[in-house]
Amino acid sequence: MSDTTELIRESTAPIAPRKPEKNRNLWSDAFHELRKRPVVIASSLIIVVLIFIAAFPGLFTSEDPEDCRLERFYGAPSGGHWFGFDQFGCDYFSMTMYGARPSIVVGLVGTTLIVIFGSVLGAVAGYYGGIWDTLVSRVIDVFNAIPFVLGAILILAIWRSAGDTVWPTILALSVFGWPFTARILRASFIEARNLDYVHAARSLGASDGRLMFRHIFPNAMAPMMSGVPLTIGALIEAEATLSFLGLGLKPPTVTWGSMISNNVDKVLSGHPLLLIAPALFLLAATMSFALLGDAIRDALDPKLR
Amino acid sequence: MGRYVLRRLLQAVLTLFLALFLLHYLTSLSIQINGNPAYAFFGPQITPTQAQLDQVAELYHTDHPCLKEPGNWCIENFGETLWRYVHGDFGTNLQFRPVTELVAERLPNTLRVFAVSTTVWALAGIGLGIVAAMRREKFLDYFIRMGTIIAGAVPIFLIVLALKYIGGVAIGDWLRDTLGEENALSIIFRPSFDDNHPWLTILLPGIALSVVGAAGIARLMRTSMLENLRADFVRTAKAKGLKPRRVMVAHTLRNSLIPVITLIGLSFGGALGGTVITEGLWNIRGIGQLVFNAVRQNDTPIVIAVVTILVVTFLLFSLLIDLLYAVLDPRIRYE
Amino acid sequence: MTAKVSVKSNVLDGLDPTAPLLEVDNLQVEFHTRDGVAKAVNGASFSVERSETLAVVGESGCGKSVTSQAIMGILESPPAKVAGGRVLFHGVDLLTLPKDTRRRTRANHVAMVFQDALSALNPVWTVGFQLSELFRQHRGMSKKDAMKRSLELLDLVKIPAAAQRIKEYPHQFSGGMRQRVMIAMALALDPDLLIADEPTTALDVTVQAQIMRLLKEIQVERQMGLILITHDLGVVADVADKISVMYAGRIVEQAEVHEIFARPAHPYTKALLKSIPRLDTKGQRLEIIKGLPPVLTNIPPGCAFAPRCTYVQDICRSQVPPLTVVASGRASACHFASEVINDV
Repeated sequence: MSDTTELIRESTAPIAPRKPEKNRNLWSDAFHELRKRPVVIASSLIIVVLIFIAAFPGLFTSEDPEDCRLERFYGAPSGGHWFGFDQFGCDYFSMTMYGARPSIVVGLVGTTLIVIFGSVLGAVAGYYGGIWDTLVSRVIDVFNAIPFVLGAILILAIWRSAGDTVWPTILALSVFGWPFTARILRASFIEARNLDYVHAARSLGASDGRLMFRHIFPNAMAPMMSGVPLTIGALIEAEATLSFLGLGLKPPTVTWGSMISNNVDKVLSGHPLLLIAPALFLLAATMSFALLGDAIRDALDPKLR
Repeated sequence: MGRYVLRRLLQAVLTLFLALFLLHYLTSLSIQINGNPAYAFFGPQITPTQAQLDQVAELYHTDHPCLKEPGNWCIENFGETLWRYVHGDFGTNLQFRPVTELVAERLPNTLRVFAVSTTVWALAGIGLGIVAAMRREKFLDYFIRMGTIIAGAVPIFLIVLALKYIGGVAIGDWLRDTLGEENALSIIFRPSFDDNHPWLTILLPGIALSVVGAAGIARLMRTSMLENLRADFVRTAKAKGLKPRRVMVAHTLRNSLIPVITLIGLSFGGALGGTVITEGLWNIRGIGQLVFNAVRQNDTPIVIAVVTILVVTFLLFSLLIDLLYAVLDPRIRYE
Repeated sequence: MTAKVSVKSNVLDGLDPTAPLLEVDNLQVEFHTRDGVAKAVNGASFSVERSETLAVVGESGCGKSVTSQAIMGILESPPAKVAGGRVLFHGVDLLTLPKDTRRRTRANHVAMVFQDALSALNPVWTVGFQLSELFRQHRGMSKKDAMKRSLELLDLVKIPAAAQRIKEYPHQFSGGMRQRVMIAMALALDPDLLIADEPTTALDVTVQAQIMRLLKEIQVERQMGLILITHDLGVVADVADKISVMYAGRIVEQAEVHEIFARPAHPYTKALLKSIPRLDTKGQRLEIIKGLPPVLTNIPPGCAFAPRCTYVQDICRSQVPPLTVVASGRASACHFASEVINDV
């Protein structure tokens, strides 16, 4: 160690012995704080359960949601058929279980696409600046000019022929959703590229790619971390809205949105469960992600400590 | 300031052009890939009428050879489409009424919904945000924060349905029983829009539309206030011996409102989407309902036409917001 | 000694012209935080007269800014709390005044200049607006009259082309010009006492000198008292009449300027002076004060400087040395002050 370093250490050494502190940084602080909060625990639990239901609906119900027999028309709830039957005689509980899949898949896959695509474009724009920034910013402006839900409605209306899978919905939402992440990352990279640690690393010979991924990106990720669950929640909500309108996934595919849409007036006609069940599950999904995202944002924001 | 305005104006024009091109490109691509416009627009499950097919053919020039090649930009078609737009021709609906006429007819109702919605979310959002910031870390703050997250996470159609059934039917019926049909409150709490009482019956749906926006505004206002309550210039204002109210209004609030303005611009976009649902479910004869019905009736050309109009409106509004932002924050003007 | 000027005020009654302009007596300020109660100011006492300049010197975190804000009455309470002591303006205790009266003493009798003018001025209002605000709010002047007076103020602080610049925004000024605007704002209502909290720290050296000169000129003209808060001993040497040295929330030494530089009476002051790099010690090691200042939530018993002191003895660790007079016009809070003074 050099003379100066030694001197500095010596001179600033604390006089009273302090307890040895574990390695602390923003992330571990945030994590430890989050772990304790009941809201976070509850939301995470709900999310895990929902993902399970989406992945393995068969574990929760042995009935086939498409096995609809008219003689069970509006059947009342009973053991094994906890939510009863709807107007077509389909087991409503199993419909609710199977309805989780499109929502969760759209949420997770869509967010992944938005994050990847948005990050790459945002990073390039922020880091290189100049012509790249201008280009990407213009493109962001154009996509931003078309409101999220309207744009998705439009795409799905034009592309009705695209078949009955989750993909048209996912793509429609991703196309208008990526500007969100791109802007966040662009701002982070613009701020970061002028910071001293970047200059230092570059003067030590780090390549652009390495700088961007190993150095800047981990720091730039923080503002985006809370955005991820919030985006998932927003996509789940959007998918439900679209299928409520009859766009995207259509019968016989079961979605919470279409279940709600079909049973809008059932509250009045004595079968409230048909509306409440999918609505509650949908609410549970969007709220859990929203609460989790907000908690993460609070935990990672040093200014609010 | 002049240079800033000019720059923003040019940017807006360019963005408008590119956005219209994007819409055009997506539409052409859909036809190109599916070979058959009927199939592209109406999908495998719907059989379009001859009238619908004719309209698609006319609007999108389906006999043009460029539509046989996937990926072709179809510049000529785009040119003709733009020309049409400039002349105010956005096509017609199935009853051959021009879209522009339909939009003009329905504009007042949509404006009413927006007026109510914007007022509510601005007042509620800003008000709640201020209260939360002033009562930081106390019960009211947590309550408002929790409330805004939860309210903001509820899908718009659920909010509309909830207000419609709980407010319009449950409460409304009770009010009509106790206070009679003609009482103002009874009219407000109706489950659907009534032309005879346009302002009273628009209150409930306007509030439904405002909920999500209000939540976002409240949070941002709170954060902005918290930052500014501790700002150096607020300390200076106090050191100048100014009255507390003056410090709050002329200094803290004035600066806190600035980022909220940008959010208003973004919320407007979300509100446009929400208005489709709100008007549709509440039976309000507005522009949103046009889209709602068109989607349900598979009248795709209307969807495209109305969405295009809404995009243009949104761009204009964003431009206004940007200019307003420059008025409020002098630092921007000299960039 | 300065001539006693007759004291007038439409805000305060009972002012005693024979009492010092400002006297701070055993001021205590606490901060209530999640980690405990931090004693930011732990018994500070000093006084200033008209036409006199007192420099309060100390490192970051020693409590000098908190003291000045406590005098002004602009501390954020909570978390701050003035836990004891008196702040006497011509004999009237400012701390016991009703809120509104206290507010009106600000800018009228005691005014403050802050460190970073860019963040201390409101970015969305013009300089003219922020100046005339004072006249309109405190004196009820009309917009026009207030603007006229504001223009005069800008001339007073020697801002060129004042008539144009008055309509500009803070970010359009250079650092030095902005600081002049801040000074103009502080002087607007002709205060009796001006507190300057690190007024030149954010500026470069040449501008620093100009600003200090300006402050001094105005002080002489108006016979104002001036409290200068700084960590820079060099700035102090030119301008101050007396110095109070602060450490860990307490005043540890007080003396006239030339005395303190020649023969400090407290180990901390001595160490501070030694650590100033000088041109004639080229090639030698820079002197430092070993260790770090105490954590304010957990001040050890006895003298707060004991852990870092080269004169330390057992008594220092158990008994807090009081601020005692060691010579005429000099005080030191050290058990061994006379030793330190004579140790050249």
